[in-house]
Amino acid sequence: MATEVRRDRLRRLALFAAILAVQFAGFEIALRMWGSSEAAPAFQGLFENDPVIGYRLKPGARIRFATAEFETEIRINAAGVRDDEEIGEKAPNERRILILGDSLVLSVQVPFQQTFCELLEQRLNSRGSPIHYRVINGGVQGYGPVQELLFLRSLLPVVKPDLVVETLFVGNDLEDAVGAAALLEGGQRPITETVREAMTTRLRRTVRRSMVLQVLRVRVLAATERFTRTAGPPEPPLQSYAAKPAPRIGSGLAIIRRVVEQMQEEARAAGARTAVALMPARFQVNDVDYANLRDAVSQAGGTLLRDAAGDRIDEVLRDLPVPRFDALPALRAAGPDVFFLQTVHLTPRGHQIVAEALERFLRDSRLLDGL
Amino acid sequence: MVFNSLQFVWFFLVVYALYRVLPHRAQNWLLLIASYYFYAAWDWRFLGLLIGSTLVDYTCALALGRTQSPARRRAILCLSLGFNLTMLGFFKYFNFFADNLHAMFGALGWRLDFVTVRVLLPVGISFYTFVTMSYVIDVYRREMPPTRDLVDFAVFVAYFPHLVAGPILRASRLLTQIDAPRRISREQLRDGAWLIAWGFFQKIFVADNLASLANMVFDPATHPTGVNVLLGTYAFAFQIYGDFAGYSNIARGTSKLMGIELIENFRFPYFVRTPQAFWRHWHISLSTWLRDYLYIPLGGSRGSEARTYRNLLITMVLGGLWHGAAWTFVMWGLYQGLLLIAYRAAERVKWFNDWATGPGMVARATSWLVMFHLTCYGWLIFRSRSAEQVGAMSADVFTAFAPRSINVQALLVPLVMYTAPLLVVHACEAVYDNLLVVPRLPLAVRYSVYAATFYLTMLFGNFGGAEFIYFQF
Repeated sequence: MATEVRRDRLRRLALFAAILAVQFAGFEIALRMWGSSEAAPAFQGLFENDPVIGYRLKPGARIRFATAEFETEIRINAAGVRDDEEIGEKAPNERRILILGDSLVLSVQVPFQQTFCELLEQRLNSRGSPIHYRVINGGVQGYGPVQELLFLRSLLPVVKPDLVVETLFVGNDLEDAVGAAALLEGGQRPITETVREAMTTRLRRTVRRSMVLQVLRVRVLAATERFTRTAGPPEPPLQSYAAKPAPRIGSGLAIIRRVVEQMQEEARAAGARTAVALMPARFQVNDVDYANLRDAVSQAGGTLLRDAAGDRIDEVLRDLPVPRFDALPALRAAGPDVFFLQTVHLTPRGHQIVAEALERFLRDSRLLDGL
Repeated sequence: MVFNSLQFVWFFLVVYALYRVLPHRAQNWLLLIASYYFYAAWDWRFLGLLIGSTLVDYTCALALGRTQSPARRRAILCLSLGFNLTMLGFFKYFNFFADNLHAMFGALGWRLDFVTVRVLLPVGISFYTFVTMSYVIDVYRREMPPTRDLVDFAVFVAYFPHLVAGPILRASRLLTQIDAPRRISREQLRDGAWLIAWGFFQKIFVADNLASLANMVFDPATHPTGVNVLLGTYAFAFQIYGDFAGYSNIARGTSKLMGIELIENFRFPYFVRTPQAFWRHWHISLSTWLRDYLYIPLGGSRGSEARTYRNLLITMVLGGLWHGAAWTFVMWGLYQGLLLIAYRAAERVKWFNDWATGPGMVARATSWLVMFHLTCYGWLIFRSRSAEQVGAMSADVFTAFAPRSINVQALLVPLVMYTAPLLVVHACEAVYDNLLVVPRLPLAVRYSVYAATFYLTMLFGNFGGAEFIYFQF
């Protein structure tokens, strides 16, 4: 009797496992054919491991990325930045502006010609000056200020910039800075971590080949993160904008200041000037978004201050001799259609607005004079 | 603390582990402490209101049980109802009336400075005041005896699965289950687990994904064409259903795991053909409450037709206002009342009655289609932020439909994707006329549904903060 029950259980388990496997294959095929998420193997093919930063854009990668809102061709050149051309040798009359940042700079949502970096280059070169400006898009999806500093170190000898613009996304860079603080210290990673990484590399490769596993992995990571947070009282979202932010936001500000100081120092040593650009989150521009988020934060017991994150970053950088550009006023004046609805990144019009405002800033602050 | 939070998962695991090892009376104490903790997790300051409401109605019901004098019984009932309605009125509607007073007197050039205080809305107040009021009214009507056990009564009011969003339970159903020792069957465990999984699917896969479509169309800054307003309204219809029915299913499921049966709150409301049927299938616990404690005491359909229509209108307008303190909810209630009246009046015409309720295939399909769109128009009113928006969006639908402007990629495709699995399961449930048919399907079919529910929720569910994938290999 007991054997029969056990056999029945095994039979049921085998059936369920078979159904799971068949559906797995079905979802995998469907996602590969119609899926458009960043988990798509094609999109993931844009990246490769980096021993210092963790990951970076893969030199020579070329993909087509399509979602409901856009379809773009993305090319990564040999230097590992998004560009249709190679960096090449620097001509005597050429001046290079390297714009560092995250996905808001990389801008996979729009064709390369419509990114604000490229539009800025066109605008700077449209005045018949004997100097030729080259604006280099140094944005990498998911980077925070710390990774951007490390990326700058690898780009300085290749790009030889005359001006480095560090673009801070005020929406998440304070949190990102805290999350990557360990990278800033550099040095050897603990041996256990290295061993663990080696053991999981094979698993990661397998996961990377499957869209279903990629998404499941992200869900598990998010759940794990939330589980670990439940030890304390629940925290209202958007802490960077909170009236009473968590202590880590203060740490994030200190790290950002340290990163900018370091960037300035290293850029100066390489003969380049430095500036900082602040990019707002969509809800700072879109009133409906803001109302929804304000209510959500309020329900979670917090208070959302719409421009607090940018103001805090601006404040902490105020006494540094680094000119600062804030894209918020121009984007807010332009209206709500400067961000995509689903992907919350800049639309082509948003890129135009930023390019115009950034050009004005570069000229007004005389950052281009005497380059 | 919401059901779809990991805080709730921890909470429930701990409570459930203790619940399974404790004897009956200790289980009730545990449920009471857990329920108060659950409520205090939202805002502990309002716990006093919940306890106050419990004590007042417990005392009033006991007093009703002790006296036979009709006048005294009426006075006790009025005391209880007065307390509950004053509390509900103050916390839920003070801001609404204050704002409207401000606007009205402001239009006359007068400033009203005494109504500038802002009142916070305690979570679940609309639900638990209705629960306690129904208990006192039932005792007053001698439909049930008052309970002497304060702990049992407090659990009945605060029972965490139904505390903040229903179903609105009657004492005759829940109090008796709390009072009696409970045995949890294997069937309850299986059905409870499925209801929880299905509830999460309805919430995370259906409702939270459709929310972005509805938000896009109902954003006052956008000016969608009529066809896209229609799609956005469909999205909202399934969003609100997925959200609310999902919550109810999780509530029923968690309660089943503890051996306590809650009522079905939604039963294929979008498959019906008349407004009368819609209200028998949508938010059943509220509509039956309104029927038993408002519509019938007003006279129901016992008087003249005009009186019945008046009763229907009053019931539905107050039902609309129950949903929230805003004029759009009043408009929605009025609209639902007028729909009920119109169908009731038209039922006397034979061809209409045959069409709306008859068995013919064409009549069934067309009357369903008409009813579904009438319901959706109600949701357009419900979801709009103002009467002006209702007017503008209605004008878009009726005068600027522009079918060629349909937004296939951003609206139609996701709408179909997020509603089709829900409708397939509901069609199956409707065929068997059983909301719990899935756990009773043949093994292979059942497992296929379980696996698909898992994959769809995990792969396409909207989990909040995990929308973007930052690759970190």
